[in-house]
Amino acid sequence: MAILPSSTRSRAGVRWLLLAAFLGLSASFGYGQAKNSCLDCHSTLPDPFGVTQDKFSQDIHAQKGLTCVNCHGGDATSDDADQAMSRKAGWKGKIDRKQIPALCGSCHSDPAYIRGFNPSLRTDQLSQYLTSVHGKRLAGGDTKVAVCTDCHSVHDLRAPSDPRSTVNPVNVATTCSRCHADAAYMSSYKIPTNQFAEYSKSVHHDALAVRGDLSAPTCTTCHGNHGATPPGVASVANVCSTCHVFQSQLFDTSPHKEAFASAGLPGCVTCHSNHGILHPTDEFIGTGDKAVCTQCHTQGDAGYAAAGKIREQLAQLAVAIGNADQILGTAERSGMEVSQPKLDLTQARDALTKARVTIHSFNVDRVGADVKLGVAAAAKDYTAGQQALAERNYRRIGLAISLIAIALALIGLRLYIRQIES
Amino acid sequence: MINPSERLSAPLPRRRFVEVLLSGGFLATAAAFFYPVLRYLIPPKASDLGADSVVAGRVGELKPNSGKIFRFGNRPGLLIRTADGQYRAMSATCTHLSCTVQYRDDLHEVWCACHNGMYDLNGRNISGPPPRPLESYEVQVRGEEIFVRRRREA
Repeated sequence: MAILPSSTRSRAGVRWLLLAAFLGLSASFGYGQAKNSCLDCHSTLPDPFGVTQDKFSQDIHAQKGLTCVNCHGGDATSDDADQAMSRKAGWKGKIDRKQIPALCGSCHSDPAYIRGFNPSLRTDQLSQYLTSVHGKRLAGGDTKVAVCTDCHSVHDLRAPSDPRSTVNPVNVATTCSRCHADAAYMSSYKIPTNQFAEYSKSVHHDALAVRGDLSAPTCTTCHGNHGATPPGVASVANVCSTCHVFQSQLFDTSPHKEAFASAGLPGCVTCHSNHGILHPTDEFIGTGDKAVCTQCHTQGDAGYAAAGKIREQLAQLAVAIGNADQILGTAERSGMEVSQPKLDLTQARDALTKARVTIHSFNVDRVGADVKLGVAAAAKDYTAGQQALAERNYRRIGLAISLIAIALALIGLRLYIRQIES
Repeated sequence: MINPSERLSAPLPRRRFVEVLLSGGFLATAAAFFYPVLRYLIPPKASDLGADSVVAGRVGELKPNSGKIFRFGNRPGLLIRTADGQYRAMSATCTHLSCTVQYRDDLHEVWCACHNGMYDLNGRNISGPPPRPLESYEVQVRGEEIFVRRRREA
């Protein structure tokens, strides 16, 4: 070192320092832990082969420390493309669609392996998939059907809880619709392609996408996800009843249960439809234009009469609540204190909500019992409203009388002063 | 028909009339002033309104594992005494279709009779159609009274 000029010595020092800094930084960023030469080339390739570091870093598998070789095999430590992608090194290349479920299942069906990442993650996806229409058709050689990557995406596969995931509850319907709403793609299956359009108009879509209730149903809630299959006539009511408990219990005790079964009609769907389930209104029941009862019942039969009666009862309660609400509103706007009867009016509203559920018993007396309670509560609140208005009128008359009295006093005063002056 | 000269020559009834008018007017005006004051002193039937803090009940009124509805402003509230004697309070308006919820002593949960919605004792929606938790309130026992008030953001 002594023979080197001092400027060269200091340059060598700087080089060593830079190298040390680079090694330190690369260690702290995780470079060199597991070399992944695949991305060196594939990040520059065009689409079916292109996967950028940026895209793959979004993938839950990459985040958990897995790399390309875990699925595709090969030797990612080699910079030589032939060596990295040699069959000898176990390289599989592009995974055949038919092999995808089994490949994913090789880890995801292994509870012992999965436990190391997420102890509560299910491991029955593959066995479920094999029972699904998708799985059965794939086994039969149809490669157009959905495999894991079609729904979950690939190379940027996110956890379902991630709002950007294609299988996040908010995005599921759109994901399914990519195939199921494509008439050309679905033409060979002879099934409708309007499900997504219908669902988008439904109360369920409104609850999920507009009101943000993530527990509201999307496609997979009724059809299953990995085991996706149409519920069928026999079990559709069971699907609905997982959420609509009371309606289902009442329906099971109703005369419709047996009548529908013997006519081969599915439970809930016959009146409410399936994908395009609209928010029900009171007009659904009865004998009017929008009533669903008239699909089967005709004038003169007992069901027709009962439908009309139930509709009348609901209307009676709705009118009673409307009247009470109106008179209490008038009283409130006149400055009267009616918060207690307004609070009590919730009882009548509860009764109407309950009656709308009780409809599913299709029993005039049972609906009538709920309606009676509500009408009584509404009548009480209407009386309270009348009393409040009477009190308002009393106060107005009192004010008028007192103003007249003041006017008389002023007139008297004026006359008295004039008398004194004269 | 009264002769005008007669009316002029009778000043006494006219003075009397003015006096009656004046004193009557003053009395009625005084009554109009004092009547509302008196009515104000007699409390109306309605209890406190729109307050941030209400008395939801009295100590000893609720047995363990029971609940009651109380009025919180113009909305119903639910005061619960848990099986181990703690007090909990929350809004009693179901977040699904605004029915009034109740405490179920057999389930030890809050239940809505309209659509079988279920909430836990912290007001979290745990089953059925409710999309959101019930707003939970702060409970303070002061002397014999149980006060409930809205939680303030920290």
